[in-house]
Amino acid sequence: MEIEFVNIPMVVDVPYRFAAGSYMARFLIELRDNGKFFGIQCPSCGRVQMPPRIVCAACHIKNGEWIELSPTGTLMGFSIVHLPLTDPTTGLPHKTPYTYGIVRLDGAYSTIEHFIDVEPDIQKVRVGMRVRAILRPREERTGDLNDILHFAPIGEA
Amino acid sequence: MTDRVAIVGVAQTRFSPKRADVNVGELAYEAIEQVLQQTGLEIGRDIDNSISCSHDIWDGQTISDIGITDVIGGHLRNEEKMAMDGSTAAYYATIGILSGEFDCTLLLAHTKMSQTDRNIVNNTAFDPIYTRMLGFDFTTAAALQARRYMSVYGITEEQVARVVLKNLSNARLNPVMHNGRDLSLDEILAAPLIADPLRALDLAPDSDGAVALIMASEERAKQITDHPAWILGIGSCYDAHYLGDRDLADCMALEKAAAMAYRMAGINDPRRQVDLVELGDEFSYQELLWLEGLGLCKRGEAGCITAEGLTARSGELPVNPSGGLLGGVPANVAGLNRVAEAANQVMGRAGEVQIKDVEIAVAQGHSGFCGQHQCVIVLGREPRSLSASAGRSR
Ligand SMILES: [Zn+2]
Repeated sequence: MEIEFVNIPMVVDVPYRFAAGSYMARFLIELRDNGKFFGIQCPSCGRVQMPPRIVCAACHIKNGEWIELSPTGTLMGFSIVHLPLTDPTTGLPHKTPYTYGIVRLDGAYSTIEHFIDVEPDIQKVRVGMRVRAILRPREERTGDLNDILHFAPIGEA
Repeated sequence: MTDRVAIVGVAQTRFSPKRADVNVGELAYEAIEQVLQQTGLEIGRDIDNSISCSHDIWDGQTISDIGITDVIGGHLRNEEKMAMDGSTAAYYATIGILSGEFDCTLLLAHTKMSQTDRNIVNNTAFDPIYTRMLGFDFTTAAALQARRYMSVYGITEEQVARVVLKNLSNARLNPVMHNGRDLSLDEILAAPLIADPLRALDLAPDSDGAVALIMASEERAKQITDHPAWILGIGSCYDAHYLGDRDLADCMALEKAAAMAYRMAGINDPRRQVDLVELGDEFSYQELLWLEGLGLCKRGEAGCITAEGLTARSGELPVNPSGGLLGGVPANVAGLNRVAEAANQVMGRAGEVQIKDVEIAVAQGHSGFCGQHQCVIVLGREPRSLSASAGRSR
């Protein structure tokens, strides 16, 4: 006997408008308006954290000074991705293959995850390579993480 | 091993319809920083467990505590999340301390209702294959419960309106509430209908905010403060999820949760022994229904005792002198706010809303539509051995 499977489709999604909060707002505004990266330093352990946030989780105290970071850094890890993940801001799939990487900006304790502009070839990308943030032109920036186009190798590619 | 547990610190943000200036971590830290300052405690040195209460869909993040472990002291340490009303976090913290595993627990509840849509979020609480597709939310389910309860027990719209009158007036005195106002009965009864018999003023308004508490074992509690609020009893109980399995005029889960908490607390005549109640009036009629479920009056009597002024600030049994949830308290935060307000009364720290000589206070929280889950916390000025009383009841 054939079993009929019953399921109910639903199309309504839960809408959100997330507040960036005071720390992330300053980070995103500096990036958009001045093309600069800012981290925040813990007054106790001295870590410069990015994204900036209210407390140092390790020391349980409020973070202190804002520190301007260099747009250059070191690639700490990467993956050449063959999975067409959905861009949640457009609903469209990323064109494969593309490269995700983690970059430690010079002077920062934390790393940042973003796209790496390299030929998707395991011979052309390596951990430890030097990279630089490439931002969208000022007039195209909207105040979110897509204001960074990608990180590009310095002098190697 | 300890068998006495107390609340030693209480802090709340101001609640407001919308906090566009902060993210949830910053909002949470406003309350956490305050409660640490108040008690002189430090997370690294003094806190050995952290429990938060929030809700994935309200927060828009799966496992909604993972983004706030830094502010609550959960980084490279333990942190537990309650995905239910905040009162249950107090229940859970009590059990953790009674187990001997923890001495000093930091509790937090946070929600920003402004960042999404209440009706859509609450619709996801319903069975996806059954009544969710009809579009139900907490308000429309509550409207059915209100009508059923009012018709079975002859509760009038005017009696229900008196709950709004009282709580919004009480909320004026409470600096954390944002919905306090003095209205006439006529104004309340003329408010726009939302879902008959519920009108606009019968619903707790959308709010953003956070509450933080510190709970400790007897030994630690006595080092931290001379005036703790002792946990005397706790109870927790679920009713059926399908509304059709329940008579909505009843509140059996609350009756059972209250019976557990009262037994632990040695309370056999709650009306006489309880001095003050902070309960979950998410909708106005619920104050009456929950008063009956808590055994503070007979079934069907809550409307009359409210109209007679018994539950007013000046009455024999003040109910929600804080302004209640109608005063403007976020979902999920609601129950921890109830516990916080009751604890402040017992500790003598309730400021403008303080009622004189509160020896024993009851806090009640609920989650799910029509109060599916119920939690009751009894607080008192004098400590009580919890393991002995719980043992006797078995
Ligand atoms: Zn630090």
